[in-house]
Amino acid sequence: MSHEQTSLAFRENTVRALEDTALRAAMKQAADTFGTKRADAFAPVADLEALRDRASAIREDVLANLPMYVDRFVASATRAGATIHRAKDASAAREIIAKILSERGAKRIVKGKSMVSEEVDLNSHLEAAGMEVVETDLGEYIIQMEGESPSHIIVPAIHKNRRQVGRLFADRLGVPYTEDPQALTKIARKALREKFLSADAGVSGANFAVADTGSLVLVTNEGNGRMVTSVPPLHVAILSIEKMLPSLTDLPAFLRLLPRSATGQTMTSYVSVITGPRKAGDATGAKELHIVLLDNGRTEILAGESRDILKCIRCGACMNVCPVYRTVGGHAYGWTYPGPMGIVLTTLLTGMEKSHPLVDASTLCGACVEVCPVRVPLTDLILGLRQRKVRDRFSNPRERLGMEAFGKAAASPGLFVLGQRLAGAFWPVVRALGGKDVAGRMPAPAKTPFRRRLP
Amino acid sequence: MSGADRERLFLKNAAIAAAGTHSVSDPRDLPATLGRVVASDLPVYCPGVTELEKAAAALFPVRVDDYAAATVTVEEVFGAVAETGTIVCVSAGGRAVQAGLLPAHHVAIVRRERIFDTLDDLFAAVSGSPPTNITLVTGPSRTADIELTLAIGVHGPERLDIIVA
Ligand code: SF4
Repeated sequence: MSHEQTSLAFRENTVRALEDTALRAAMKQAADTFGTKRADAFAPVADLEALRDRASAIREDVLANLPMYVDRFVASATRAGATIHRAKDASAAREIIAKILSERGAKRIVKGKSMVSEEVDLNSHLEAAGMEVVETDLGEYIIQMEGESPSHIIVPAIHKNRRQVGRLFADRLGVPYTEDPQALTKIARKALREKFLSADAGVSGANFAVADTGSLVLVTNEGNGRMVTSVPPLHVAILSIEKMLPSLTDLPAFLRLLPRSATGQTMTSYVSVITGPRKAGDATGAKELHIVLLDNGRTEILAGESRDILKCIRCGACMNVCPVYRTVGGHAYGWTYPGPMGIVLTTLLTGMEKSHPLVDASTLCGACVEVCPVRVPLTDLILGLRQRKVRDRFSNPRERLGMEAFGKAAASPGLFVLGQRLAGAFWPVVRALGGKDVAGRMPAPAKTPFRRRLP
Repeated sequence: MSGADRERLFLKNAAIAAAGTHSVSDPRDLPATLGRVVASDLPVYCPGVTELEKAAAALFPVRVDDYAAATVTVEEVFGAVAETGTIVCVSAGGRAVQAGLLPAHHVAIVRRERIFDTLDDLFAAVSGSPPTNITLVTGPSRTADIELTLAIGVHGPERLDIIVA
C-alpha cells in the first residue's frame, strides 16, 4: 500500500479530522493517558534536567561529528560480520533491500516497527516485487490490515478504538467479535506466531546504532522486534544515519529517557543490543545481517540551520503534548512523521513546496520543548521554517502584502496612528482584499484603540 | 549499595514491572521454589549447562530440546540490573537468547552476585566486545497498542518469573 503525501491539504485534512468523532475521542483519551503516565514515570528520577543535558550533549556531539561516527560504525559493524549498505535516498534504499531479499529467494518477510521504512515506503515496493510483507507490531498489524499509515510514531493505531479493531479482526481473520484488548492481542499473537516461524527474512529498524561496537539497539515492548531480528535466517535493518551513539556506555542515559518519554514506562520490556550476525559457536542471531544506512537528505539538513532536528530520538512526547496534534491526530499532517517534530522533519525531507501548510500547524506554546528529552528546540525550528516559507514565497501573497504594510506602519508612529484612524473605515475593504484565509477570522478593529485606553 | 539492598531493590523493581519474583538463600532450595513456579508436566526447555540449570533440569520429566516447542523455558541468565528490575540475557557461550522469548513462560535464575546496581555498571562491563546479542528483559511481553490499554503476552512470554539464587 503506497501513501501519497497530502501535507499540502493540511487544512482540509484537519477539517475532516475535526468531524470524526471517533478520532476525537481516541485522541482525547490518548492525550490524558500519556500525560499522567509520563509525569508519573519521571517523578522518581533525581536530577532529570542533568540527565536531559547529558543526552542532549551526546546527541550534539554525534551531529557535530556525524561522518566520523558513521564511518566508525561502518568499520565496527563490518568487523562484527554485518554487511553495510549506504542508501542516498528512498528509492536507493528500496532497491537495495528488494535486491538483498530477492537474491536470497525470500518470499515471506516479517517486519518490526520502523518509521524509516515508512519514510521510504518500503512495503509497497516489496509487495510489488511479489513478496508477502507482514507487519508484526500490533499497532502496525492493525493499520496494515486496514490499509492505513501510522498516525503516531510510537502507537501507530492510536486513532482507532477497540470496537474498530474488534470488527476488523472479525472481518479479516474470521474470528468471533471481541473488543477486549487482551483477547485481541492473543488473536494477533496466534496469527503472527505462524508468520515468524515460517518467515524467510526479518526487516527491522533500530533506535540507535553504536559507533564503537557496530551494534544495533532496539527498544521494544511486544517482543516482535526480537522475533524479527533473531528467528528468520536473514535480518535486514534499515536506519537513518543520525541514529548514531558513540559508545555502549552512552546508552543508559537514553534508556532512562526514551521509554519514560514515549510510553511513561520506566523501562520497556525488551532492549536488544545486536552486534553482527550469528558467529561460530553462537546459537542466537540471524545467519546474515545487512544494515542499510539511509541518508535521504540528512547530510543536507546537517549543513543547514535546522540541523538540531536530527538530535531527535523519536520518542513521540512532543506530539503527545501538542495541542494541534491532540486535536487533529497524525494523519492530517499527510506524511510519515506527525506532530511538532514531524512539522520540521517533513518540511525538510520532502521540501517546502510539498509541505508548507504544516509550518503553521503550531501555536508555539512550547509544550513540546518542555518535554523533549534531548532538548530539540522545536519552536525555534518551526519559527525558522516559517521565515523560510515567507522568504521562499510559499506564504499567502495577500497575507504577505498585509504584513508588509503593517510592518511599515508599525515602524513609524505617524503612519501607525494614521492607520489606526483609517482602519475602522477601511475594514470592509481589508476584509474583502484579504480573503477568508487571511482576514476572515480577524476581529474588526476596536472603536477606541487599546493604546488610548491606557491612562 | 550493600548486597542485600541491591537484591531488595532489584526484586522490588522487577515486581513493579510485573515479573514474579522469588529468592532462595541456599541453592539447595531452588528445586522447591521451581516446583511452585512451574507445573512439572509441561514441556520445559532447560539448557542444563550451569550447575543451577542442572539442578533445575532434574525436576522436569518432560524436557524438550526445541525451545520453540516448549511451554516453559527455565535457564540461568547472565545477570540483572537493580535500577530497573531487569534481567540480562546474552548469547555468549552458545546461549539461545530467543529461548526466553518463544515459550509462554520464562523462568530466569540469576545469581545474586550477578546483580548490577545500574545500567551504567552493566554497560561498562559489556561495552568492550559485546557478544552477538545482549537482551535486557524487564517484565513480560506487553503492548498498549489498542486504546493504550495494557495487554500482556503479545509475542513474547506472558509470564516472567525471576529466582535470585
Ligand atoms: S523532537 Fe524530542 S520530543 Fe519530539 S519525538 Fe523527537 S526526541 Fe521526542
